[in-house]
Amino acid sequence: MSRSAFKRWRAPLAWCALLLVLATGGEWFESLLRWSDPEARRVLYPQADLLTLLLRHLWVVAIASGLAVVLGVGAAILVTRPGGRDFLPLVAQAASMGQTFPPVAVLALAVPVLGFGTWPIIVALLLYGLLPIVRNTLAGLEGLDPGVEEAARGMGMGAAQRLWRVELPLAAPVILAGIRTSVTVNIATAALGATVGASNLGAPIIAGIINGNTAYILQGAVLIGLLALTVDSLFARLNWRG
Amino acid sequence: MSRREAPLNRVVLALSLAALACWLWLPLGSIAPNRIVLGTAYSLPEALGWPLTVASCLPLLGLAVMAWRPRRPAYYAALALTLLLLMALPLWLALMAQRHLDPALPQARVGIGAAGWLMLFWLSLLLVELRTRLALAGWQLGLGLVPVLGAWWLTAPGLASLALWQELAGRGEAFAEALLQHLLLVGGAVGTSLVLGAAIALAMRQNPGVERLGFALLNFLQTIPSLALFGLLLAPLAWLSARVDWLAALGVSGIGWAPAFLALLGYSLLPMVRNTFVALSEVDPGVLEAARGMGMGRGQVLRRVRLPLALPVVLEGVRITTVQAIGLTAVAALIGAGGLGTFIFQGLGQAAMDLVLLGALPILAMALVADALLGALARRLNRHTGRTTGATP
Repeated sequence: MSRSAFKRWRAPLAWCALLLVLATGGEWFESLLRWSDPEARRVLYPQADLLTLLLRHLWVVAIASGLAVVLGVGAAILVTRPGGRDFLPLVAQAASMGQTFPPVAVLALAVPVLGFGTWPIIVALLLYGLLPIVRNTLAGLEGLDPGVEEAARGMGMGAAQRLWRVELPLAAPVILAGIRTSVTVNIATAALGATVGASNLGAPIIAGIINGNTAYILQGAVLIGLLALTVDSLFARLNWRG
Repeated sequence: MSRREAPLNRVVLALSLAALACWLWLPLGSIAPNRIVLGTAYSLPEALGWPLTVASCLPLLGLAVMAWRPRRPAYYAALALTLLLLMALPLWLALMAQRHLDPALPQARVGIGAAGWLMLFWLSLLLVELRTRLALAGWQLGLGLVPVLGAWWLTAPGLASLALWQELAGRGEAFAEALLQHLLLVGGAVGTSLVLGAAIALAMRQNPGVERLGFALLNFLQTIPSLALFGLLLAPLAWLSARVDWLAALGVSGIGWAPAFLALLGYSLLPMVRNTFVALSEVDPGVLEAARGMGMGRGQVLRRVRLPLALPVVLEGVRITTVQAIGLTAVAALIGAGGLGTFIFQGLGQAAMDLVLLGALPILAMALVADALLGALARRLNRHTGRTTGATP
């Protein structure tokens, strides 16, 4: 790795390393946590090791965000094409209504349909994460200079080629910013899934609240915070290059 | 948006056909012998028989027909049909209850099925679309919804066996108390963060060091999951109330409203400070010049020029904060703060889904109403001050 590349990726690497150290270094972490809650009987969350919880957390966010990107960007592209333009006001307003729905309420409403476990939180995150992506993709595609499209047309590009080689690359920074907001918010919100039986980094937090154990809460909170910082700084690098 | 003279409105057509498909194929409702047992689902023809089924579909077909000639009168007719469908929605459930409920089982209850919920969803989208086409103001749409609520209220006696209703009847007082607690927590947090946020934003404008530090701190606070922030306040507050007498006398303790309020306040401050700060910074220099030219002092400029101009953007902050706080207060039920979230978590614990609904539906409604009202107010003020856009998060 060259020197400048290392400099560029320094921040995400540092956060990621700290995250992994805390997730795997149970013993060492334990003595730190002991200090936060000296009276507790045990300080390390016993049900599952932190690395597993971290990976499950990441997995839920990845599925929900992946679906949100596909649906959000897809819908925004469709309604900015001539054939789908009729649907534009509806899609824009429905996406903003989606964010008005509190994630806890969506989570609770999804349980009767999907049962306890991981799926309700994926649905809640998907709904909540859709708006920033749809809004930014619409803004990015609609905000392009009409002259650019004219030029692309003049070069003999078809509709698909214009979208793929001109519109999307030009709108990419704005779209990426939307995805970044969506993903970082979802990393924190995913912890709520633990209230309906999803096993992720929210589980130690819930266990801590129920047992009055601050150390459990801290491990969940610190790891979620570090995960958010890692992902956010990764996106910052992507944006900077884009 | 370019409005071509299209031969048909594909949005209305697609929405009404989707609603028709859900209405015919999915279960309208279910009837369960008691609270915990899963009910038997009834599709529309099973529940009402074919003649009534066809009758209930006619307005939807009417909507699809209206979509072919999208002129203003047709849109008004479509709006009337949509409102009619909304009004009739509980009627079909009441008819189903009347026909299929066994009088020998007093515990039996009616659940709302997927067709009912999805119909509500598609009809709301239709309302959104028709509102855009007819360029209706918010209050005009609200006026149209009055007869809908009236019709629902009239149908209510026929739905005494609705599961949701039975859950409510069993805990009417607890529900009223939870609703009040919820509103108090949201109102208290939003009100305090408005005052505090304005003070912080003013301090930030005086001093760039405070600005950097303040935004860094508030951004950091926002990355802590709400669940964790509630939990992390438990121990320090319990410690404080054990040592400071007057705090304990105020009812501050590790669980309850105090940690909930502090966490809500922390989350509300960022959107509030950000919007107030942006609003105060983005006033046109020419306007300020003119105000100073008229002999206004610093304080006067702030009070009479900057603040009124900033109001719509500040209000946008209040809207974001309120909607967010309504959802977060639901989570606060986990640390004993009360509020409607109590029913959600109780219901989840007992696997009684109707109890969950009793908590979740009012929260959803509150969030939507707060969003609509504050959004309309902000747009109104915007028109007054001649701005076109507010700050977005």
